[in-house]
Amino acid sequence: MIFNYIKIAFRSLLKNKGYSFLNIFGLAIGITCASLIFLWVEDELHFDTFEKQDQVYIIPTNQKYDNEWRTYYSTPGPLAQAIKDEVPGVVRATRSSDEELMFTVGDNAINRMGRYADADFLKIFSLKFIEGNADTAFNNPEAIVITQETAEQLYGKQTKALGKVLKVNNTDTYIITGVIENLPKNITFPFNWVAPFERYRDGAEWMMEYGSNFSYTFVELSPEANFETADTRIRQLIPEKTDDSDTQAFLHSMNDWHLKSKFVDGKKAGGQITYVRLFSIIALIILLIACINFMNLSTARSEKRANEVGVRKAMGSGRSRLMIQFISEALIMAFIASFVSILLLIILLPQFNLLIDKNLVLGLSNPMHIIFILSITIFCGVLAGLYPAFYLSSFKPVEVLKGVKSTHGSASFIRKGLVVGQFTISIVFIISTILVYQQIQHVKNRELGYEKDQLISMKVNGNMIEKFTAIKQDLINTGAVKDAALCNSNLLSDGNNGSGLTWTDGTNTEDVLISFRNISSSFFNTTGMEILEGRGFSENTAKDSTSVIVTESLAKLMGEGTALGKQITRGDTYTVVGVVKDFQYGDMYETSDPVLFYNYHDQARYFYLKTNAEVATPDILSKVEAVMKKNNPAFPFEYTFVDENFNARFRSEQLVGKLSQIFALLAILISCLGLFGLAAYTAEQRSKEIGVRKVLGASVPGIVKLLSKDFLKLVGLSILISIPIAWYVMSNWLQGYAYRIEINWWIFLIAGFVAILIALVTVSFQAVKAAIANPVKSLKTE
Amino acid sequence: MLLRLNQASRIIKSGGKKISLLDTINLNVKEGEFISLMGPSGSGKSTLLNCIGMLENFTDGGYVFLEEPVHSMKERDKTKLYKEYIGFVFQAYHLIDELTVQENIETPLLYKNIKSSERKALVADILDRFNIVGKKDLFPSQLSGGQQQLVGIARALISKPKLLLADEPTGNLNSKQGIEIMELFAELNIEGVTIIQATHSESNAAYGTRIINLLDGKIVSE
Repeated sequence: MIFNYIKIAFRSLLKNKGYSFLNIFGLAIGITCASLIFLWVEDELHFDTFEKQDQVYIIPTNQKYDNEWRTYYSTPGPLAQAIKDEVPGVVRATRSSDEELMFTVGDNAINRMGRYADADFLKIFSLKFIEGNADTAFNNPEAIVITQETAEQLYGKQTKALGKVLKVNNTDTYIITGVIENLPKNITFPFNWVAPFERYRDGAEWMMEYGSNFSYTFVELSPEANFETADTRIRQLIPEKTDDSDTQAFLHSMNDWHLKSKFVDGKKAGGQITYVRLFSIIALIILLIACINFMNLSTARSEKRANEVGVRKAMGSGRSRLMIQFISEALIMAFIASFVSILLLIILLPQFNLLIDKNLVLGLSNPMHIIFILSITIFCGVLAGLYPAFYLSSFKPVEVLKGVKSTHGSASFIRKGLVVGQFTISIVFIISTILVYQQIQHVKNRELGYEKDQLISMKVNGNMIEKFTAIKQDLINTGAVKDAALCNSNLLSDGNNGSGLTWTDGTNTEDVLISFRNISSSFFNTTGMEILEGRGFSENTAKDSTSVIVTESLAKLMGEGTALGKQITRGDTYTVVGVVKDFQYGDMYETSDPVLFYNYHDQARYFYLKTNAEVATPDILSKVEAVMKKNNPAFPFEYTFVDENFNARFRSEQLVGKLSQIFALLAILISCLGLFGLAAYTAEQRSKEIGVRKVLGASVPGIVKLLSKDFLKLVGLSILISIPIAWYVMSNWLQGYAYRIEINWWIFLIAGFVAILIALVTVSFQAVKAAIANPVKSLKTE
Repeated sequence: MLLRLNQASRIIKSGGKKISLLDTINLNVKEGEFISLMGPSGSGKSTLLNCIGMLENFTDGGYVFLEEPVHSMKERDKTKLYKEYIGFVFQAYHLIDELTVQENIETPLLYKNIKSSERKALVADILDRFNIVGKKDLFPSQLSGGQQQLVGIARALISKPKLLLADEPTGNLNSKQGIEIMELFAELNIEGVTIIQATHSESNAAYGTRIINLLDGKIVSE
């Protein structure tokens, strides 16, 4: 029996190649698209898959400023030990701070990010030791544990790394006491090495106090531990130790690190999970659109199949058997479509990976993937086949065999409804795409307060600070660089900050967070920040050591009148000598905090270069490299472009932007395939009417208009339905950004216009074909 | 007695008006009869055939088939009954375009859940008997009208029905093909198949053992 179905399904596929193509291709695109999204979702859901994922927590702190809680991962140094000692259920705890170190073996020098941490770290993250072991690895104070990959880069594959003495940053020595397996790619806090925390910043005094928040704290609860009890106790700890109730630590599970790491006013507020959910829904919607095509084309073709239904019923087939037959046909189509989509996936996955910067694999040997694609196929087959099955199997044999053309009003109503549904979704996608694009551009073009172009950033290492003046002069002498400057934190990032300053009129800013930047005098010129009042710093730091420069917003905060000459006290007392324009750093969607600049660059960590726009980039780089090699020979020349770093900050928005473009395009493509098929059938069905009209003198444009009008009405209706939906969805999305665009009415106009244009092109092709056909032919067939 | 119609009528509503397609028909059919239904277009021949074949229902009156009361049966039981005992031959052949000759003939057997090996044997027999073995792998569109109707009859007979219902079986054929089909019917009748055919043609009707004339849904003469 099933053979018979398969046979007839294949033959009818071959007989109607055009429609088979529309159906299978549409469905294949839908399945491909959904598969790509689900592969991405799977990847997003598999983060931080360490052995003790359910027991490990990071300790973030909530800090209250301006009556609002802000959440940071940085914690005071002594917190880890205090938690381990005093919180019931905590079995391990570690401090941990990341740092980039340069390892040198012979001529081979590489920079690697890693973490300083306590011995518990090794067990909390269940690191798998290839050489050495977790119990003894940190017994030696000079120990360092590196990943297999790092070991191979340093010593090659053959040599054992264990016990080797490693030269670090050209000055220190570490002894390799362990080699661990490489970590999976999906890790929130990645590292290539781990070394005892005591060596972090040479064990500076300030790290032992509760006053400064600088390190991450990770803890492990015992399997039996009560989360509530532990969390409550941890929340009390910092206020107890410091008498400051405006800072609270709490537990944040490893399960949530990647997907639910956004905090608003100290409470969990989703995060990446929002996009994971959003895209899962979009995947289902696209599948739905593809299935709708199938339903539409199948029911539209029903007149051709009606005869077969009649014969089969007269031969004794019951309704259920016919339904099984039609559903199995749909399933066969779906399986072919799946097969096509696997081919498409093989072709498209590398491109998709490039686009979203991931390394997804199709993984057809993974039983979960096979089960998944089978379920999608069956889901689509059944969904797409169900309606045609119900519809077709309901035909009365006598009527169809007599050739009675019944006016199936309900079917055409449903068909129209489905088309409206498809186009509504497509138009919502078009509108969303435009808005996401606009929002990203809006933020990228935001007035930053500095010039991010032609700006190169380097991490400070070796003698870059000591020889700063010489390096700067050498660089400028090359003609490729206009100016160079030092700063203690990244221009684009949140750096050190604090509160509790006092100034001339006695205003206390307990509740306002102010950022601190230690810069060289050339910083403003290099970054292109504008000095509004007063002057910049003197090149002679000693002369200007009690001067500070403030941003506009800080000046405003300091009270009426000019800020110049006012005194600010933070430990020592300083005099304001200049005011610069506010600049944007940290979260690019928010308004950044006020900034206080010190003329002090001895502990700078970033080196900025303003390059000459008239010199080609490769020339600039080779010239800069030569200067750096000469002055700082022990370290490799590594750099980044600030504008590229800036763009990288919009990764998740850009991902949404790119994906929504693709989805909009595919949704429209699939919808158009459906519309194209429907238009063809309408034209075919009405061929006699068209023939009669032409014989009676109708013109070709008149007939094209007649055939296109109905479809355009449907698209028009879709526009009306989609506008409020798109408006609602997108204004919700935009709510998440403080710095955002307004939704303009003309976007809806454009989207509607585009939809109508696309639909018109699709339909008119068929309409013109029908209109220019010779009427004698269509009339003769009756 | 194969079937009995007692005051059977079919009345439908069309545009608010009641139209009587069949009006109080009384008819007894014995096994082995060959009945020709005659009458002008719209006299109710096809409707009567369809109602006897259970594709349509009488709206009133009694219909007993093989001593079973069809008028009070559920749809499912009717399907069971007609797929067991009744075969249909259509004027427009109504073969399934996507199936070959062999597969078309096999279709009714599929719906009776007959095993594959048995189906093959039965189809081979009937192909042989109708002399169309050489055409078994062709599709309907590759056959002439007469050949298609032959396949249609073979398909109707494959499940060994007691009653063969034929609605204008020669209507789309030329006279030579028509005669061949009628001679085949006569032969089948001799072998014991009860046949009811609807026809316009006097000469075709003459093949029957009994001629019934219909007019406006009523039996006017026998």
